Amino acid sequence: MTPSPRGGSPPDPGAADAAAAATEASLLARAQAGDIDAFEQLSGAYADRLFMLLLRLLGDPDEAGEVAQEVMLRAWRAISRFQGRSSYFTWLYRIAVNEANRALAKRERQPPSVPLGPRELDLPTSPGDDPARQAENNELRRALAAALAMLPPPLRTAIVLRDVEGFSTQQAAEIAGVSQAAFKSRLHQARLQVRAAIGDDALTAVGG
Amino acid sequence: MGYADDHQWSQRHLSHYVEGDLSHRARRRLDRHARDCADCGRGLRALRALVYAVQGLDGLAGVRAPATIFDRVRPAATGGPPAPQNA
Repeated sequence: MTPSPRGGSPPDPGAADAAAAATEASLLARAQAGDIDAFEQLSGAYADRLFMLLLRLLGDPDEAGEVAQEVMLRAWRAISRFQGRSSYFTWLYRIAVNEANRALAKRERQPPSVPLGPRELDLPTSPGDDPARQAENNELRRALAAALAMLPPPLRTAIVLRDVEGFSTQQAAEIAGVSQAAFKSRLHQARLQVRAAIGDDALTAVGG
Repeated sequence: MGYADDHQWSQRHLSHYVEGDLSHRARRRLDRHARDCADCGRGLRALRALVYAVQGLDGLAGVRAPATIFDRVRPAATGGPPAPQNA
């Protein structure tokens, strides 16, 4: 399985895909045999996306960097046990989600020490938006960031994977390590909590 | 099925509706109710706006992983490669 296109480069179709898969399979086999260079090449292809995911889940670039190092260490230690039931990317992402949740649990659900950055909060805008509209958008961005930061980790993971990262429900559930039914339940709860925190009037005034 | 039943049911399934998870029949039930219920109609608009807005949070394109991301792997690897197993 290849990563979702949102937030990353879309895979090339056809022959390029096959070549990439063959390369990944070769790198994986070498990494499983203990080749550290192959492991870095294999995992490095997903490093930026993985770091972005951690940044979205944790909100703190320094902590995301720390956790990313831990993810790679755990992946290296466990790669010989990777059996290919999911794609390597999904497996790596699942380790990242687990590590992010572990870090969040340590914080005892405190909001991120550094809020999601301004670029994170770029709502779609059009050149014709008037200043009042832009001000409403900015207000909604801040409210969304705060509401997402306050969600319990499993709910935050669900809304980030599905709505921000754009994974299908099946992919997102696989990464979160839960059934699709459980994932959907978390996603719906997350949306309802964010909706309640922001309020229908604020949401419909900007997006409706 | 009364209005109150439909209303409670619709409120519980607004997110499922937006996600496209409802059967055709269930979707028609919610559509029918939301036409007459300002509360559920507003809820649907709010959830659609919420999903749209959250999708708009995807603004990290171009962010790069720190160069230190493999720093803990090399020292661990010098202790010997992981034991290969059936992949």
